[in-house]
Amino acid sequence: MKMTDTNATFRRSLHVALLCLTVFAFLGASDEGARFNRLGHRLMCVCSCNQILLECNHVGCTYSDRMRGELMAGLDRGENDDLTLQDFVQKYGPTVLAAPTGTGFNRVAWIMPFLALVLGLLTTIFIVRAWRKRPALAAPGGVLPVSGAELEHFRTQARKDTQI
Amino acid sequence: MTVATLTCAMVMLCVLFYVFYLPGRLHLGPEKTRLAYLQERKEAIYENLRDLNFEHQAGKLPDQDYQSLKSSLEEEAAGVLAEMAQLERAGAAAVFSNRRKGARV
Amino acid sequence: MSQIGSFALLLALALSTYSFLAGILALARPGPGSERLGETARRAGIATFAVVFLAAFILVISAFQDNFSIAYIFHHSNRDLPAPYKFATLWSGQEGSLPFWSLLLSAYGLVLRLRHKTDARLFAYASAIIAAVQIFFLLLLNFAAHPFALMQGELPADGAGLNPLLQYPEMVIHPPMLYLGYVGFTVPFAFALGALIMRYPGEKWIHITRRWTMVTWAFLTCGVFLGAHWAYSVLGWGGYWGWDPVENASLMPWLTGTAFLHSVMMQEKRGMLKMWNMWLIFATFWLAILGTFLTRSGIISSVHAFAQSSIGGWFKWFLVLTLVTFTFFFFKNKSHLRSEHKLESLISRESSFLFNNLLLLLACFTVLWGTWFPLISEYVQGNKVTVGPPFYNNVAIPVALLLLLLTAVGPLLAWRKTSVESLKRNFMWPALGAIAVGILMMVFGVRPWKDISYFYALMAAMLAALVGLTVTSEFIRGGRVIARHTGQNLLASMVHLFHRNTRRYGGYIVHFGVAVVIIGILGTPFNQDKEKEMGFGDKMTIGPYTLVCESYTQDDNPNYSNEWAIISVFRGDRKIETMYPERRFYKASQQPQTLPRIRSSYKEDLYLTYEGVNEATGRPIIKAHLNPLVMWIWVGVLIMIGGTVLALIPNAAPVRVTAPARIQAAPVGAGD
Repeated sequence: MKMTDTNATFRRSLHVALLCLTVFAFLGASDEGARFNRLGHRLMCVCSCNQILLECNHVGCTYSDRMRGELMAGLDRGENDDLTLQDFVQKYGPTVLAAPTGTGFNRVAWIMPFLALVLGLLTTIFIVRAWRKRPALAAPGGVLPVSGAELEHFRTQARKDTQI
Repeated sequence: MTVATLTCAMVMLCVLFYVFYLPGRLHLGPEKTRLAYLQERKEAIYENLRDLNFEHQAGKLPDQDYQSLKSSLEEEAAGVLAEMAQLERAGAAAVFSNRRKGARV
Repeated sequence: MSQIGSFALLLALALSTYSFLAGILALARPGPGSERLGETARRAGIATFAVVFLAAFILVISAFQDNFSIAYIFHHSNRDLPAPYKFATLWSGQEGSLPFWSLLLSAYGLVLRLRHKTDARLFAYASAIIAAVQIFFLLLLNFAAHPFALMQGELPADGAGLNPLLQYPEMVIHPPMLYLGYVGFTVPFAFALGALIMRYPGEKWIHITRRWTMVTWAFLTCGVFLGAHWAYSVLGWGGYWGWDPVENASLMPWLTGTAFLHSVMMQEKRGMLKMWNMWLIFATFWLAILGTFLTRSGIISSVHAFAQSSIGGWFKWFLVLTLVTFTFFFFKNKSHLRSEHKLESLISRESSFLFNNLLLLLACFTVLWGTWFPLISEYVQGNKVTVGPPFYNNVAIPVALLLLLLTAVGPLLAWRKTSVESLKRNFMWPALGAIAVGILMMVFGVRPWKDISYFYALMAAMLAALVGLTVTSEFIRGGRVIARHTGQNLLASMVHLFHRNTRRYGGYIVHFGVAVVIIGILGTPFNQDKEKEMGFGDKMTIGPYTLVCESYTQDDNPNYSNEWAIISVFRGDRKIETMYPERRFYKASQQPQTLPRIRSSYKEDLYLTYEGVNEATGRPIIKAHLNPLVMWIWVGVLIMIGGTVLALIPNAAPVRVTAPARIQAAPVGAGD
């Protein structure tokens, strides 16, 4: 959802930033700091450590410091989020983004789980309905039902054996 | 080298001996009988009946549902119990007739 | 030594092949002599254990003797490696971990084959299936990844050493736990498939494997969370779960296994979902093999790429072969799996299990999808993409929250049918409690509208409270019923209640543990971190703590050289602890490693890492993380494990009610 409507995301992030700035300044994160943090968590370190950029603590990692510097510089230039991320994609290839984007085939990555949820839910509901309507099944294991006196006799026995 | 070869040979011998040396009769468990199967079923139905009683007393079921569910489970149990009783009677008769025929064992 | 090891592996292959062939022959052609043939098959299976044990033993001994002529020992050990890690070489590399798999499988097989008298024929089937799986692993060991392969050329003086990331105490137990879990699912699978092939009457196989499945599940849970704890304490990035492909690989069988544990109850009690359970246990087994494959083949790059090689092809064929075999028998004997009952009501325990299964499988699918999407993307659009934490967090969290909701509601539902009124009545108090928790959290500053992650945190807290409260209310409600019958006090009745149905109430305790784990996880959005270069006397504040650098120094020993800082931790004006974040450089493997230091409390973890040295000033750079509530994750896992152990206790006899005379007085045949 956050990926499919980047405009809304941007608006929302502006709101968040504004709120951060005015009301929650005591949390210690400035506007710029929060943006840096947020964008830094949407990027991967490309040193093949497979970690989020801001979480790469690879000793002597030659990439993460430089990339963090570039991110900072991008923010200083006043670029918006998309542009900043796009710069990284241009430079390091699409794998630098920590999650698939909301465009083209990448959208499939996001749609699939929700599609599976909907399909699964429909199937389950269908199964539940079908099972409720199923005609009474034959006694399992070929046990024949009993009736009359015999039924009452054994019914009483069962009742006696199973209080709680 | 030779120590290793010797050890390997020893291991091989022990294993072959263990696997293929089967003196006397084998004591395998009994084949599963119809009675054993019915006993399992009885246990399962009883368990369900106990659960049902318990959940009714814990207030999860209205009386009406409780009665109908209970009745259906009891019918199921009765079928199983009836067949068990029949099999047991037949089994007892067979043992009895065997005894009368004289010891085959 | 290595010749004996190689011989043992070859002999094990021969034995398990014999066990499999003789086993199926004896089962397929019953007649004179088939019993004896079957018995030799069983014994060959038992002997497999002894021989694989011998091979594993020799591998460990070789590690202790620093026998670097064996390539595997050379690559995963060195002379100065501490003893426990030498022992752990058995599972630290691929050629070692495969005999370990094989050893565990044969150990499980041993237990199974020793207990064959419970039901000789069913056990014989299970034994043959386990032998078949064993053959695969022994083939791998003998022909693809031989652990006793010798070094070529001149004998090296010292080994290449164990990867420093693995030199951590938990690494000695995390892989065995995980493997016990992975391998363990082979047993219920073998019984399920065996029962299907022989069209076994009844559900006894579930009864036989019930404890087995629970123990296996507990091991897997332990393994997964030990892995998380290891990542937290060793990798030094301040988190415990990175959605790394190998972490995912361990999560997938856990999810399907959890689904199986639930839905199999429907089969046991009501004879329903037989086909579904068959697929579920197969999927769990299959995913466990896939997990081993992902961990060990390096097909998907990951922090776990400790061991990479070309065994991928073997695994692919095996996965295909098991799928084909299983599918064949499934369709052949499908009629055996017909359901015995219909679903009576939508509001019932049964339907809650259906939805539980749906969500667990959905989570599993999401993880699988995310793990494979980079490869799919490469195939479709020609370039790889990264599917990292943001993806999983966005998709998995809503699913986890829904599951938590079901966990809360499920116990309130009776089997077969529950009235809406009783549901409303029983749900009201827990729901009010959960709402109160939510309001309390908002009062204390959690603003759900501020960020989606705060919203999730709030929901998770409320749902966790809901789970805790419904579990408690179930105990109290059940306890009251018992108290009415026995006249005991409520507490004694609750203990009694637990003993009546240990699996159910042990399960509720596991649910409670899950809620506690969730509480621990929901601290994540509130994590903070800070990084600073710290000279003598420099200060850094994070949250309520003030850190003061007292000193920094370095040292050297045969295994590694290291640098560390001495940091005093103050809370207000009071000094509460001294911490020593450290960085090591391992000599044998020529690899550096950061060792974080963690101060845990019930509120938060203070997590310090030594990031490195500023070349210009020579002063250390220290990074501090403040991770709220993390401790509750580990506490929750302990509760989960404890609950599982309690669920393993055999049930006590049902309550004997004190009025049998009245019932006996009912005349036989009174109904007609």
